Amino acid sequence: MTEIILNSLSKSYKPSLFKKRVQAVDGLSLKVSSGSVYGLVGPNGAGKSTTIRMLLNLIRPDRGEVTINDQLVSSGEFLHDVGYLPENPYLYDHLTLRELLQFAGRACGLSTEIVSRRTQELTEQTGIAHALSRRLRTFSKGMRQRAGLCFALLHDPNLVILDEPMSGLDPLGRKMVCELILDLKQQGKTIFFCSHILSDTERLCDQIAILHQGRKVREFSADDLSAFRAGERCLEDEFVAAVGQSNVTDEIQREVD
Amino acid sequence: MVQRVWALSLVTCKEGIRDRSLYGIFLFALFVLGLNVAVAGFFMRDLGKVTVDMNLAALSFAGLLLVFFIGINLMAKDIDKKTIHLVLSKPFSRGEYIWGKYFGLLLVVLFAQVIVLLFSCATVACVHAMYPGYFTSFSWPVFFIAAFFIYLQQALLCAIVVFFSSITSTSFITLIFSMASYIVGISLEEVVFYLRTQAATEEVVASATLHHTLEVVTWLVPNFAAFDFKIEAAHGLALEWSRLWTSCGYGVLYICILLVLASLIFKRREFN
Repeated sequence: MTEIILNSLSKSYKPSLFKKRVQAVDGLSLKVSSGSVYGLVGPNGAGKSTTIRMLLNLIRPDRGEVTINDQLVSSGEFLHDVGYLPENPYLYDHLTLRELLQFAGRACGLSTEIVSRRTQELTEQTGIAHALSRRLRTFSKGMRQRAGLCFALLHDPNLVILDEPMSGLDPLGRKMVCELILDLKQQGKTIFFCSHILSDTERLCDQIAILHQGRKVREFSADDLSAFRAGERCLEDEFVAAVGQSNVTDEIQREVD
Repeated sequence: MVQRVWALSLVTCKEGIRDRSLYGIFLFALFVLGLNVAVAGFFMRDLGKVTVDMNLAALSFAGLLLVFFIGINLMAKDIDKKTIHLVLSKPFSRGEYIWGKYFGLLLVVLFAQVIVLLFSCATVACVHAMYPGYFTSFSWPVFFIAAFFIYLQQALLCAIVVFFSSITSTSFITLIFSMASYIVGISLEEVVFYLRTQAATEEVVASATLHHTLEVVTWLVPNFAAFDFKIEAAHGLALEWSRLWTSCGYGVLYICILLVLASLIFKRREFN
């Protein structure tokens, strides 16, 4: 069981030498309970991917801290139990899918038998078992996404982090990913994912936060999500209102400044 | 740890070996070696020396092309295309990543060098059989020792590539820095040697500052000339064990220092 806590996380960066600093994430705090599915939604450039990179210790926050099971991510200990799918995964072109998954298995210290079994299971589940001996550069965008999912889940991690998992997938692929996430949830895994496809997020998540210009502008609990699913409220309207309101507030702030 | 480093080395090696540019390098080496056989008859004297020299130069040049054009890409592509995000999301430490990539590069270079060396041996044997009179002082062991040191030289160059890749964010800058290090490293010994001769004191006015700067540079920049045994191989000269061990130790020590520094820098690096 895995619990994630993001505490007042901030991160800014310089796009290039002569450009102004951009505040990618600004004082973000959230808590992901064990065994739940947490969705981070927001428009492009909201800071979703930056948040995930801080979660994986690929970049360090300017302020604040990230803990997974009460341990700071900077220790790197948590990586044994994490599966990560980046947005548009770029995999090793000249490897076959089987070789890629063998690499993932070796990196996680799995035995050959386990790697073979998991490879078979996952590729069948994602519908790419027929392409095990094909080089990855011959894969379509959707197939790469599925291969990336297999790579992330091979060692059966307890925490799964997915950055735009539906990106580049056809309707069948999207359905497959949704079923996979629900299956992982049933197994008690903690799932943290970013998306801007609201319908899927609404269907899969136990909690949702809306991120805009690096700040958390709204957070929805399980009760809110029940209301969305029952059709009493609409997530899309709430999203537009939250992002719109935030834009107006920023506009006023700029005027005041 | 060893398993993870080995896993990454294997993946890097497979990526490098399956790169089509490798075939271009092989074709170039084959062309030079074939040319050697074809033009051998045009030389009136020192045919054995020319053959050995040309073969070792082809081996060295093919290795350089490989390190500069495939080796640099193997590491830079990971960072450019963000494959490194996937790799570092597995339980790899940054240091393990650096060592894994380095050993992978070494395997690619070894694979290519062994193939070019086989062709090179065939060329030397062929010219040897055609003109045996010119190969009286030729020695196969010295030829192989010279080939081994060419490999060691490229191993050092790989470490330089990994070091600069850990600092810079684009493959072009890595290429420029690595090439500059190689050019300075290969010619530095001759420059220092010249400046210390009597002739130099008569021809150029070298200030004390220049001498001190050169002294510092000789310590900082790798001395690639220490791995050059082409003259000995061409003339079939005997090699001193002490010189061989010193060159070997120098190369290994320099590689280790570079990789430790690269690991420390890489540990602090952010991957956006």
